[in-house]
Amino acid sequence: MPENIKKDNADNIIVDVKDLNFYYGKYHLLKSVNLYFKKNSVCTLLGPSGCGKSTFLRTLNRMNDYTEGAKLTGEVLINGKNIYDKSVDVVELRRDIGMVFQNPNPFPKSIFDNIAFGLKIHGIKNKDFIVERVEKCLKYSGLYDEVKDKLNKSALSLSGGQQQRLCIARAIATNPSILLMDEPTAYLDPVSTSIILDLINSFKKYYTIIVVSHNVQQSGRISDYSGFFLDGELIEFDEAGNFFTRPKDKRTENFITSRY
Amino acid sequence: MEQQSHEPVFPANRGYLKRKKFYNNVAVFFAITAFIIGSFPVFHIIYKAVSIGYKYLNWHFISTLPTGFPIGAEGGILNAVIGDLYLIVIASILAVPIGIGTGLYLSLFGKKRVNGFLRLLNELMIGIPSIVWGIVGFYVFSTNAGPGFHFGFSALAGGLTLGFIMTPIITLLTEQAVNQIPASYIEGALALGATKWQATRAVILKAALGGIFTGILLGVMNIIGQTAPLLFTNYYNTGMPTGVTGPGGAVGDLAMLIFIYIHEPSKILHYKAEAASVVLLFFIFALDLGLRLINYLAKRFIL
Repeated sequence: MPENIKKDNADNIIVDVKDLNFYYGKYHLLKSVNLYFKKNSVCTLLGPSGCGKSTFLRTLNRMNDYTEGAKLTGEVLINGKNIYDKSVDVVELRRDIGMVFQNPNPFPKSIFDNIAFGLKIHGIKNKDFIVERVEKCLKYSGLYDEVKDKLNKSALSLSGGQQQRLCIARAIATNPSILLMDEPTAYLDPVSTSIILDLINSFKKYYTIIVVSHNVQQSGRISDYSGFFLDGELIEFDEAGNFFTRPKDKRTENFITSRY
Repeated sequence: MEQQSHEPVFPANRGYLKRKKFYNNVAVFFAITAFIIGSFPVFHIIYKAVSIGYKYLNWHFISTLPTGFPIGAEGGILNAVIGDLYLIVIASILAVPIGIGTGLYLSLFGKKRVNGFLRLLNELMIGIPSIVWGIVGFYVFSTNAGPGFHFGFSALAGGLTLGFIMTPIITLLTEQAVNQIPASYIEGALALGATKWQATRAVILKAALGGIFTGILLGVMNIIGQTAPLLFTNYYNTGMPTGVTGPGGAVGDLAMLIFIYIHEPSKILHYKAEAASVVLLFFIFALDLGLRLINYLAKRFIL
């Protein structure tokens, strides 16, 4: 997928988060988060449940827009452009940012339609192109051989791991440059988990991948960069090698050595 | 290290163990008794209606218009069956789009405060007595004096009035059906860059179809037995309607037929009213079966 690689960003930083604060009602959920993500890297955000890491991930494609009582200050620059600017079209933004959720959530449609959905909602009507694209995405997500004979079957007939890979295929159908993953392996068995981790590793050639996780071991396997969230604060953010072996902060060390 | 003993940490209260079984039996007894008392009228109604009206329960009764003197002494109830179809179709044309639209708005698009107000209105609408709807329908649709639509006593006036009774039921069921859909479906669609309407059309409507159909059929089941709203908007027609408005626009209706026949000083008409009740019950039973079938199919093939 060489069409994915964009060359317009000289300093290689694709997402730049500046002083991000997020409030839910009166509750200050994210506290002054400063963070950047480099192109074609895998970055994992670790932290205990309820620390705000999922909320942070959802601010990157504005999925919090529909949450009532949510308020946000600060900037999220993607390719140098603030996505919270009034001129930004959310629909176009999300076309460029794929998202995979914690629960495998394929639509109650056929396997084919699940992937074709992303293309159809962006106005693509060329059937040959859609068929080709669906096939391609299924191959990238390693699902093609398992489902090629039953593309018209309901997506809900697949196993949990297959459903999650279908969701990944669905997310890359619109050819995004960034892939957000919200604990993509939380509900999967070890074999499916391993397949998905391998997928993430092979995908970083094409995408910038940001994964939220609370599994330290899995994160260590895939990360180039890692961040640690605690109570809405970004405690530490570093290259994976330093992060997992020589954490600077005591709290990070406690978490990655399971002393929580 | 101290050995963990297997002595219970508190002594068994044997009296209480016996008593709690007794309380359990009492509760089961009351539940069964309540069910028998509650369901008795249903069986009694069916038994009474069938035992009195059985003579007329045949195809001829359903497929011929009432004739003779007093009218209805001979012939059947075709006018009422056709009239019910008219009313159901007209009411549905009004209620289905409005009901589904409101339900979708409530569950997907509305803001908290507006939603609270709309829900209150909807519940009020469900609670409005049908006779009040009849009077409203009379002034809005039927009356020939003052402001209003001047449809006369007609299928259109009656059907629209029934439609307003049907709307809040569909709204309620649609909202519940959409709310039961996992939020992850709509999130998944939105994250791909779908607008809310695209998400609704493609994902939500399909998944909620079973619930929405349940709402429509429940609405039909409700209006099929209504008499009060029709008293002032449609009343009754012993023949076939010649239109849907104005003179000749009125239609027959099973519930009104029963109401009118039972008031006539004629044994035959009383029997026929009972037979018509059985037909009406059968209608509702068939609708209920249809509802269950749709729910079953929706669970099996859509979700």
